[in-house]
Amino acid sequence: MTANTLVHSKLICVALNDKSQLAALEGTFNEAPYKKPPTQPVLYYKPRNTWNVDGAEVEWAKDFDGNDVQAMAVGASLGVVIGRETCRVSQAEALDYVRGYTIVSDFSLPEENYFRPDIKGKCLDTSAPVGPEVVPADTIANPDALTVTIRVNDEQKSAIALADMKRSVAELISTISWIMTLQPGEIIAVGFAGDRVPVTRGDRVEATIEGVGTLTNTLGGA
Amino acid sequence: MRHARIIFDGRELDIDIDTNDRITTSGGEVLDVALDSDDITWLPPVKEPGTIFALGLNYADHATELSFEPPKEPLVFIKHANTLTGHRQVSYRPDNIEFQHYECELVAVIGKAGKNIKREDAMDYVAGYTVCNDFAIRDYLENYYRPNLRVKSRDSLLPMGPWIVDREDVADVNNLRLTTEVNGKITQDGSTSDMIFDVPFLVEYLSKIMTLNPGDMIATGTPHGVVDMQPGDTVICTIENICSLETRIVSEKEYYGDKY
Repeated sequence: MTANTLVHSKLICVALNDKSQLAALEGTFNEAPYKKPPTQPVLYYKPRNTWNVDGAEVEWAKDFDGNDVQAMAVGASLGVVIGRETCRVSQAEALDYVRGYTIVSDFSLPEENYFRPDIKGKCLDTSAPVGPEVVPADTIANPDALTVTIRVNDEQKSAIALADMKRSVAELISTISWIMTLQPGEIIAVGFAGDRVPVTRGDRVEATIEGVGTLTNTLGGA
Repeated sequence: MRHARIIFDGRELDIDIDTNDRITTSGGEVLDVALDSDDITWLPPVKEPGTIFALGLNYADHATELSFEPPKEPLVFIKHANTLTGHRQVSYRPDNIEFQHYECELVAVIGKAGKNIKREDAMDYVAGYTVCNDFAIRDYLENYYRPNLRVKSRDSLLPMGPWIVDREDVADVNNLRLTTEVNGKITQDGSTSDMIFDVPFLVEYLSKIMTLNPGDMIATGTPHGVVDMQPGDTVICTIENICSLETRIVSEKEYYGDKY
């Protein structure tokens, strides 16, 4: 666990919120084991051993035999930081519960499917940098108008507009708040581009959202 | 020794309970109250809950009951502290659902940090054991990250406690009777000896993926015998030599009150 992490208590990530990814997988999702496309937000946790900070190294993962894994991938998301206890709030009032915004990078093993919780792929130590800071909510006029870009070694690899997400920031806060009560400092990563960016040892990864900042991390094991 | 957290006489206290059921606070004060007194409010026993791992389908008979092949690798999912509640507290049943069931489970509480822990060393990392009731709302199952957070991560649906028993006080954790009673009738009667993946295996497995930290918990799955719960029902989950955990089911309206 890294000291000084911006996360308090929990970091909830939203998978499959990219409309183009959902469209591309529609055929797959009508077959076993899924049988039908998701009707609800698909959520997962990055637990506390994953939390990390701006500027820090992300460990290159090892497999069960103790050898370096062949491949890792990264996605980045707007991180919504909860400001006060959020229990069963409407979409209309949801943004009133936001203290500010930050950036969440999610380093993982390449995703093979969405059927079972991907503990092996997503719970890697130091794999969830959050930062560089929390910008106050009132500095962002419309969070759904932001674009998240990823640069690897100074080359842009990914850009996704939150306008292309199936569910808005307010809708996600509301829906999640009807499942569980959120507490101040808890963070929701509202969605990632469907195509994760492949990374390798020693890469420098910069996730940027204009007005929120740039979160920079390097991969270990070079 | 047993360890718990309670509210008593308006104070939130960390307590130890000896073999004579005598209660001592962390400050050394002996409390003159019986364990079954209504004057005690039981809190979840882990003071700083970390990552809560829960096992799906870890008893072969329960997998069969739910029409699944027993897994070849642990089916692990994660829950958070919003789900926790204490002994003799309430859990809610959402409105308009068909099937909410309990899952009586042995919980191993991690006592020190470790990564890549070997099976033969695994027990050194376990501080003790408690009991949880890992409620599930089966209506909300979708085949994405199954069981998803909507099924398993709802407020109050992980009663735990009343206490943690030190590891060394449990002779053979892999051979304990586990029972659940609903409104006084036994509905679940199994043994931890029927687990597919035992505690040392799970500690080794999880610690190959990630660092385990003090306060992390591993809820080890439930055997055959899950039945639907309704508001007004009382469920008692018992694992011999560990503890009995009692929970009353209330409606969503009763639970959320002004937030309903």
